Amino acid sequence: MAVNESLRVLRTTHYDEQHYSLFLSAGSIGPATRPGHFAMIQAGEGLRPYLRRAFSIADVTTVAGVPALEFVVKVVGVGTAALARFAEGTPLPVLGPLGVPFPIDDLLPTDRVALVAGGIGLAPLVLLARTLAARGIAADLFYGGRNENDILKRPEFERFLGSHRCRYATDDGSLGRRGLVTDLFTHALAGGARYRRAYACGPLPMFRALTRLLADAELEGSFAMESEMACGFGVCLGCVVPMADGRFATICKEGPCVAPSRIDWTRL
Amino acid sequence: MKVDLSTPFGRLRLKNPIGTASGTFGYGLEFAEYLDLAALGAISVKGLSRRPCHGNPPPRICETDAGMLNAIGLQNVGVDAFLADKLPELARLGATVIANVWGDTEDDYVAVVERIGADRRIAAIEMNVSCPNVVKGGMIFGNNPDALAGLVKRIRAATRHPLIVKLSPNVTDIVASARAAVDAGADALSLINTLVGLAIDIERREPKIGFTTGGLSGPAIRPVALRMVWEVRTALPKVPIFGMGGIETVEHVVEFLIAGANAVQIGTANFRDPSLAGRLVKELSVWCADHGVARVSDLVGTLKTRPRPDHFFS
Repeated sequence: MAVNESLRVLRTTHYDEQHYSLFLSAGSIGPATRPGHFAMIQAGEGLRPYLRRAFSIADVTTVAGVPALEFVVKVVGVGTAALARFAEGTPLPVLGPLGVPFPIDDLLPTDRVALVAGGIGLAPLVLLARTLAARGIAADLFYGGRNENDILKRPEFERFLGSHRCRYATDDGSLGRRGLVTDLFTHALAGGARYRRAYACGPLPMFRALTRLLADAELEGSFAMESEMACGFGVCLGCVVPMADGRFATICKEGPCVAPSRIDWTRL
Repeated sequence: MKVDLSTPFGRLRLKNPIGTASGTFGYGLEFAEYLDLAALGAISVKGLSRRPCHGNPPPRICETDAGMLNAIGLQNVGVDAFLADKLPELARLGATVIANVWGDTEDDYVAVVERIGADRRIAAIEMNVSCPNVVKGGMIFGNNPDALAGLVKRIRAATRHPLIVKLSPNVTDIVASARAAVDAGADALSLINTLVGLAIDIERREPKIGFTTGGLSGPAIRPVALRMVWEVRTALPKVPIFGMGGIETVEHVVEFLIAGANAVQIGTANFRDPSLAGRLVKELSVWCADHGVARVSDLVGTLKTRPRPDHFFS
């Protein structure tokens, strides 16, 4: 059950020119949020940006003791730029939590899972890492970006999962291994790592490569997908992906977390 | 001050003049957690076709200044699934349901309307003859008054429900379309549908939408919609009109009523705020009370215009 409510800006933490974390009061969305859920945020009352924007709920946390939702944002357009500029205390309309979260209820304490993040795709994996840690489920993080500035929330991931379980790849080699995150993951699989499931979020090329890797390894996946959305709750039908069964499925309602085997990647 | 929001609309009497527009309100049920469906004047559901329709490949939408473009391609569950799976719950919740229908051919339209039959859970049928986002059908009828008249005549003969024709704004003369529809038997009109537009990704030199062009909606189109409502109201003083196009606030609702709409439909703004339509009903009552308007229907068509000069040179 999603809620349409007004949440206050508690803090905005800028990592660099392009990346920031926006902390909003948790409202009644916080307690209902599961890893992989997203929210639609209206960046102000004006007509530019006009529509709400969809963001993964990166974490349910606290700011100076106040329950908070965290959104990790990369500036890519007018919406993400506008959202960075609100003063503390500004009320913003938020709709959430929305969508199908990551499947985790079936995991056993003896299971081991992989988290694969590309760029800003780290966002939905923070709360996942926190939740898995709280349940005592071992998880390995594979996280890639163009350079070390793209690698965000490292202290949190390493605290939740253990730093020995966090591996990084960058295009320029400024952090971790030089290369792609899928190379890291391939290497781990080749080294004998076995996982119950791989949870991933990142750009389309990463998803495509990972889909092949998972199929070859006969490994189950859950991908948090992204698309432009007008509504976020299954009405505008703008955010569809082609499915293997021939339908177009809305990412907002049937996703964002989808098993890659259900998607027709050849038509995407 | 007690305000009467009830809205005579041809053979219908709506609870109030706030409706929601087809394509922006799903099948209504998606909004049940954000507003009281029974409190709205009417809801027009996603365009229904004879068979389920998959719609267009993505990308389907993009934001534009003060609005958005879409080319969904009329994806819908089909009329049978709507009647079986959606309508019972809508009826239970007390919604006043308008069934928006479309087809590729005249026979397709007739088939949908016949399938609905005399179902009393549906208050009216709204014909979509103006979707710009499908290759066939839709717009072919909307762009040509003769084709439109032929189609409306056939649907008129096939149903006893109040028949609303939703007009395309992508024409030179909206009044010609309106007259053709009404003369062929339409009980009422909805205007406007989206305006055909184009948005370009200049880095890729590609359209931002997979269908190339899309339908423009949102606040950007409101002045065009108001002008068309006013033109049709002036030409056809009696026909019931649903006005729509970029309504976001109670002031916008009042604008449309003054221009000549008997009722309005909230469209793209439902995406931005799913609770909006319900709130506008309450705000309209307050606005009327504050402005000494006892019956909201007294606002309809009250635009005071000055005579236009018939020449510019002395």
